[in-house]
Amino acid sequence: MKRIFNFLLVLTLACVMALCSVACDNGGTNDTDAGEVDTATGNTIVKIMFHVDEKSTEGQAYKKRIEAFNTAYKDRKIKASATYKARTVGAAGYETELLNNQVEGTLADIVTFDAPNTAAYADSELLYDITSLIPQDVQNDFYSLNTYKGKLYGLPIQESSAGFFYNKKIFRELGIDVSAYTVDNPWTFDQFKDVCGRLKNAGVTPVDMRIDATKDETATYLLYPFIYAAGGEFTSPDGYTATGYFNSAATADGFGFIKSLIDAGYTSYKIGVTDFFDGRVGMYLSSGWTIPDLDNKYKAVFASREDWGLLPYPKSVNAASATGSWSFGITNNHHSDKSAAKELLLWLTSAESSEAITTATGMIPARKAVNTDYEAGSPEYTLLKQLETSGRQRPVTVAYPTFSTCFNQVIAALGTGNVMELLNTQASTLQREMDNLKG
Amino acid sequence: MKKQLYEDLPNFKRNKTPVKKTVGQIIYIIVGTILSLIFLFPIIYMLATSTKSESAYAASAGSLAMFLPDFANLGEAAKNYGNVFSNYGIWRYAVNSFTYAAIVIVLNILVNGLAGYVMAKLRFPGKRFLSFMIIFLIVVPVETSIIPLYSIVKIMLGLKNTMSVLGVILPATISIFNVFLFMQFFGNIPQEYEEAARIDGANTLGVFFKVILPLSKPIVATVAVFCFIGVWNDYLWPSMILPYASEGQWPLYPIQSALTTIQSIQGITTGEIMASLIVTSIPIFVIYVLAQKYIVQGFGTAGLKM
Amino acid sequence: MTGSALIIAAVFVAGFVGIAIYDIATSRRRKEKYRFGTVATAYLMLIPALVLAFLFVLLPILYSLGYAFTDYNLLKPNNIKYVGFDQFKKVFEEIGEKGTLYHALINTLVFVVGVVPLQIGLALLLALFVNKPLKGSKIFKVCFFAPVVISLSVTSFLWLQILSPSESGLLNSLLGIFGAEPHDWLRDPATAMPCIIVLSAWQGCGYQMLIFLSGLTNIRQELYEAASLDGAGAWRKFTLVTWPGLRSTFIYIIITVFIGACRILTQPMLMTGYQNHTVTLSYYMYQQGYSYRHVGYSSAVALLMTIVIGTVTLIQRRAFREKN
Repeated sequence: MKRIFNFLLVLTLACVMALCSVACDNGGTNDTDAGEVDTATGNTIVKIMFHVDEKSTEGQAYKKRIEAFNTAYKDRKIKASATYKARTVGAAGYETELLNNQVEGTLADIVTFDAPNTAAYADSELLYDITSLIPQDVQNDFYSLNTYKGKLYGLPIQESSAGFFYNKKIFRELGIDVSAYTVDNPWTFDQFKDVCGRLKNAGVTPVDMRIDATKDETATYLLYPFIYAAGGEFTSPDGYTATGYFNSAATADGFGFIKSLIDAGYTSYKIGVTDFFDGRVGMYLSSGWTIPDLDNKYKAVFASREDWGLLPYPKSVNAASATGSWSFGITNNHHSDKSAAKELLLWLTSAESSEAITTATGMIPARKAVNTDYEAGSPEYTLLKQLETSGRQRPVTVAYPTFSTCFNQVIAALGTGNVMELLNTQASTLQREMDNLKG
Repeated sequence: MKKQLYEDLPNFKRNKTPVKKTVGQIIYIIVGTILSLIFLFPIIYMLATSTKSESAYAASAGSLAMFLPDFANLGEAAKNYGNVFSNYGIWRYAVNSFTYAAIVIVLNILVNGLAGYVMAKLRFPGKRFLSFMIIFLIVVPVETSIIPLYSIVKIMLGLKNTMSVLGVILPATISIFNVFLFMQFFGNIPQEYEEAARIDGANTLGVFFKVILPLSKPIVATVAVFCFIGVWNDYLWPSMILPYASEGQWPLYPIQSALTTIQSIQGITTGEIMASLIVTSIPIFVIYVLAQKYIVQGFGTAGLKM
Repeated sequence: MTGSALIIAAVFVAGFVGIAIYDIATSRRRKEKYRFGTVATAYLMLIPALVLAFLFVLLPILYSLGYAFTDYNLLKPNNIKYVGFDQFKKVFEEIGEKGTLYHALINTLVFVVGVVPLQIGLALLLALFVNKPLKGSKIFKVCFFAPVVISLSVTSFLWLQILSPSESGLLNSLLGIFGAEPHDWLRDPATAMPCIIVLSAWQGCGYQMLIFLSGLTNIRQELYEAASLDGAGAWRKFTLVTWPGLRSTFIYIIITVFIGACRILTQPMLMTGYQNHTVTLSYYMYQQGYSYRHVGYSSAVALLMTIVIGTVTLIQRRAFREKN
């Protein structure tokens, strides 16, 4: 008994001390200055932090653009200085660095961030409102912009989109002709089901929709366009209401379509991650990053581009497709003069930089002005066209991480659960989180 | 008669014949091998995968072939292992990990050993309070987030850039559990050894280094091995607090942090990842095999009375 | 931050001085005086450990506990407000409404109840096995320990392939030989937790095996001899000699395995992701604290969890001791 008493005593004492520790620590540094100036050379230093490893192809591309910037702006006495903090698998390393730099007051002038974080970072004032800094014609030239509450907080580096990769050999053998389904004339939900049915009748697993990939962002990123295509929504435009959106009838239609595919045996949770690459599955829903893999890694099944192709997302009420990007944003740090940071931001998101970076990474340029020489009908062309005509961002909300979990939980339970019940449960969870963040 | 009893017991009855013994030995080996396979299959899998190209890996996934090397194409194995060393500069990170581990082991034994010695052998006011704190901190597992530790290292102590290496080493240096282990072990060393040394004119510190530590090889080895495994396998904390080295600089990352970063680089194949994991697991195994005799003794003699 | 740390340090030093003075006062009464030289060396030798323990063990704990009474949002570190017991209210609401936390609580309980006996049992059997003075025991000892050394991410990745729901999944194709239907082991709520329990026990038992082994080597051989002379068989020898001899080792193992089991995080995270049928308390805290950025709320859960686990371990210690 005495020990338990001792234990509680120490715990209470600890809590009291911890409380006083928090009470003493309010208020950070609020002093602002015009910008960091190197006294020896008179250069204004603009600091920038990237989320990739310096030695990766993407890191090397950024590095070259930074060097070019420093040469070009030598006379204007602006110098960019870059740090690279690789965003490793599963680790919150990059974001932790960002947040702690914010506390320390050492936040770089420009940082990179993942597009779904826009709302949260804007709301917490980590990002600076750049609406007035960026000329309107430049803004118009982007496929997507990082806006929150009508203000601009970031410009994308490069874009990504997804679609249905398909095994041309299998399609040829079964006499399935999909050449009519282009971005300008996408297939409908029914036509999609029809193709699946013919594959299934021939004994081929029709489509890997990655409904098993609910552990991270993969399933959300690939599947949310179906809900928009069915006319559904996830949240209200301000991102603070989920009830009535996440569980609306149209949203249920979208999820219902995916469920009908599972019920009909067209897709399942049981498809192995490598089954498509091994020639066992007809179609595979994935992002553009699968293109280099198919080109290089699986020569036994996919010898050349004659053996595989890419189809757009099917449409129903609307046409909708996935978009995703990392973006550059100017931070709300103690440097009150943002003009030098603006120059670097415009430089790195210029058509020239956009082209240089996407040439290295194989992603889609973020700006329309970039001349791409994709051959009509090639997978890259399909992705770009789709982005232009039907690309739609994931919902902009401060509660984005919770949205992502809720979406995943619906997908994971879709095989056995009732769609409306699942949506009602998750809508109330999401709504609670939104109320929490609002209040 | 009695002596023979000692040798055979407790595992065999006195009257076992040599034949029975041989049969027992054979059964023992068979059962042991099956059990070993159950515990070794991750390593077998890693070894097998490290010999495969990406398409061979995809073809074997999910079948028993994933535990067999790709005999048809053994050149792939050489390529995977070669790439690990030449393309990603693994050896530099391995040097870092060894250095961190060595420093942590020495400091850990010194700091916790001294504390354990004081707690076990010296009389001073406040001792009961400290003993209570030690048991309290071991028994009550306070769930802490890594966030305050990060703030302490980065903001309060201001360990940045190259200095953040200290942020890897110092928190790993203190271990309440090791203080407890040392305390228990030292408590069992008879007082006479110390008194003999004191008569020879040694001071307290001298007694610790010349008498106590040499008598405590098992516990020192135990602590050293677990320190090594801990430092070698940790990746989250170092990759959070260490700055990423720019090109041309010697990197600060230890091996596991570097591996997780390398894995996120597009273009590395599963075979190469497995090859790098194999290469980095070897030191742990070697050290464990060398020290396992002491580990058993160390835990045994410390008594572990909680 | 430095300011508050100094205040906490001052409180600690003051508290320690108080206790030391009390000790000195009582020692005078008992006529066991402290020797100044010894005391001074003792304190000097303790200083490095005390400073490091204060900075890297105690302070993080205190800060974490303190956050439980605030609305700390990871994204707003410069705007932390004291909110009293609001976070605890939310915790109990979440449990009351059978939200995710409720599932986390139940799952953790199931995991602990399943894994503690399984892991300890396995460890004991393996220890008895390698303790036989036969050829090969040394090699087996190394083999059984192997999973402890390999990182969890590698073994989880491998188990995912074994438990793969497809027909060609390793376990499914094995069971298919006996005509069983392929089963989705990790998505089915009935089998997901048992799978995680088995793989955790498999991964961890090598370490407890070593500790049991050290306990076994400490048992005096004469005891077995005496038991043999009394005509005891292998089972009676185990219950009469081995088991009592392992008691203190056993207490240590049950406490450490229990604490480790309560904190399970990585396995469900890598095997199933954040799902109601496998989420555990630590995983819930991780998700709330990092992914959703509610450090305050997450700390409140941590504080309550600490109190529960701490109380249970103290009770365990008492229960096992009294029998001794």
